Amino acid sequence: MWTERENDLLIAVLDELIPANKKVGVPAAGALGVAGFLPTATSYAPDPVGSVKAVLKSIIDKSSDFTMLEGVEKIALLRDVETENAVDFGTLVQLTYMGYYSRPEVRSMFGVGAHAVQPKGYDVPRESDEFMESLTAPVRARGKFFRVV
Amino acid sequence: MKNETVDVLIIGAGASGAAIAWSLLETRMRILCLEQGPHVADKDYPSRDDDYELSRYGKFSCDPNVRGLKQDYPINADDSCIMPVNFNAVGGSTINFLGHWPRMKPSDFRTKSLDGVAEDWPVNYAMLAPFYAMNDETTGVSGLGGNPAYPDYTPPLPPIPMGKLGQTLAKGFNKMGWHWWPSDVSILSQDYDGRQKCVNAGTCDLGCAAGAKGGTNFTYWPILENAGVELRTESRVREITVDQSTGFATGVIYHGPDGQVHEQKAELVIVACNGVGTPRLLLNSKSKMFPDGLANRSGMVGKNLMFHPLTGVSGVFNEPMKGHEGPMACSILSQEFYENDPSRDFMRGYGLHSGRSTTPMTYALGGYGVDNPIPWGAQHREVMDNVYPYLAGLTVVAEDLPEEHNRVTLDPDLADSDGIPAPKITYRLGDNSRKMLKHGEERAKEVLMAAGAKKVLTKGDDDVWWRAGWHQMGTCRMGNDPKKSIVNSWGRSHDVKNLFIVDGSIFVTAGAVNPTSTIQALSLYIGDSIKNNIETLFD
Repeated sequence: MWTERENDLLIAVLDELIPANKKVGVPAAGALGVAGFLPTATSYAPDPVGSVKAVLKSIIDKSSDFTMLEGVEKIALLRDVETENAVDFGTLVQLTYMGYYSRPEVRSMFGVGAHAVQPKGYDVPRESDEFMESLTAPVRARGKFFRVV
Repeated sequence: MKNETVDVLIIGAGASGAAIAWSLLETRMRILCLEQGPHVADKDYPSRDDDYELSRYGKFSCDPNVRGLKQDYPINADDSCIMPVNFNAVGGSTINFLGHWPRMKPSDFRTKSLDGVAEDWPVNYAMLAPFYAMNDETTGVSGLGGNPAYPDYTPPLPPIPMGKLGQTLAKGFNKMGWHWWPSDVSILSQDYDGRQKCVNAGTCDLGCAAGAKGGTNFTYWPILENAGVELRTESRVREITVDQSTGFATGVIYHGPDGQVHEQKAELVIVACNGVGTPRLLLNSKSKMFPDGLANRSGMVGKNLMFHPLTGVSGVFNEPMKGHEGPMACSILSQEFYENDPSRDFMRGYGLHSGRSTTPMTYALGGYGVDNPIPWGAQHREVMDNVYPYLAGLTVVAEDLPEEHNRVTLDPDLADSDGIPAPKITYRLGDNSRKMLKHGEERAKEVLMAAGAKKVLTKGDDDVWWRAGWHQMGTCRMGNDPKKSIVNSWGRSHDVKNLFIVDGSIFVTAGAVNPTSTIQALSLYIGDSIKNNIETLFD
């Protein structure tokens, strides 16, 4: 698929695309293992491996060791690559989001259940009749609200 | 290969095809339905999978060009700002529709006489009201009676939960003094007719594995198949055939699941393929008698395509809105700006629909029906951590006016897997719709702030949602004048006396509400008219 060097570079890039929020324990995309999702994503992009390799090549052409750059330098370099190779970079971003948010444990960090939503779903209580009566009272007070034809 | 002649041949097992089959059951005629898609098996609903969101971008995308399944036909929308979306299976697009169920309003049927735009329908609200009610009972509709924006009616089931998001927005509307009401939905708030109530999964677009949503695969089709209606799946109709001496439809040529071409004869042919599929089929059914396509002597087949152009506005609130919990597109609906107001700079009006928010992946990728991912890097963290959980939004749903240049034609190059020409969409947003959306966007901002939003987010451009072409209307419209319409006031072709159309293509105007309840009410009305006119049906 890709060399060890490319893999290390890819993980570093993914960590920049979706960085961690260490305060609340949300991992970065590279650390979460999204690199492993990318080659499997053929249902969502025509050539995911080709797009990833193209982005990595562009990065290597600009820097012999991206991983050693300072944070702002990494961002600046990635912005350049995004500008120069918008299609492949856009594919990488899209697939990174897919790989990251398809992980159930990530969903739960954003208040969304980790479970498959069928059959369990979510418990949302129905508003009481009294509450609805009160909430709709101003609307009903206006009377009929359509043109009689 | 030939098959025995049937009395009634219905093309399409979606919303309208199922409804008219149900209406005609009592006639005891032999009814056959041909559906290009398969049954969706329980195991195939992605909402049962841990990574369910991914299917939204693959096999359960609303976009047939993304799904690319054998039963799908490609659609060329290069000349359109809106992509038509659909689903091809038993149940049609009711498999992945969102179940929002508002009725059209009395004035929607009289736009020409009331407001001087478009055309009047040859039917009216009062004629359809009994069929709306009949369909609500069969489908299982939840809602709150007494909505002052409509003539009196009460849905059979109590409303679904509005949730925190809906309650918050409702209070904002009350502060503004504007109309709002809990949405009517074809989603069960209680167990009903052997079906399980909604579990608030929030993924209505991925099909409802529990059957709580009123897809016809769960409502009409079990009844129909038990009653002996024959349903042939994976059977795609290529053309409707015509007796060149009488001008009557004789049946269809279709591609079966065995890969062979079949002929099916019928006494009565009913087309139920919706606003893109129906004109496609008619335009592909050319003969000496109908060189420009079947039932197209007026030249109007495919013209006057209407969608509901949409734009969205979101408010960022101080507390999590839990927008992923509950039916996806249905909480409350405001029709404050629905009826025509001559003081505005556009004709007709729009609705403000409160959907709920979506799941994290879909939000990160730009939102439902939009391909515009949020930024990467530090901004990504900021948006997902501090904006996404706190969102409540409103969708502006505009009434599209019929314009002849918006149309469905046959693509000269693109075809489906059986070699049948694909539809080509030519559609541009009218100035009236653009002004309407702008007005709606401004009102949405106001009400979101009144509801307590600390910040309001808009797209910041004039583009409408790309995959917003759920509602496909007007391309074979009904009317009394054969020069300006395709079918008469009860769905019968002006040109072919035993050909009926019952889907959204026969709409004369679009209203500003989701059309499925009206499509099915109209289909039931046409079924009733067929029964009432049975002795002189082909005169």
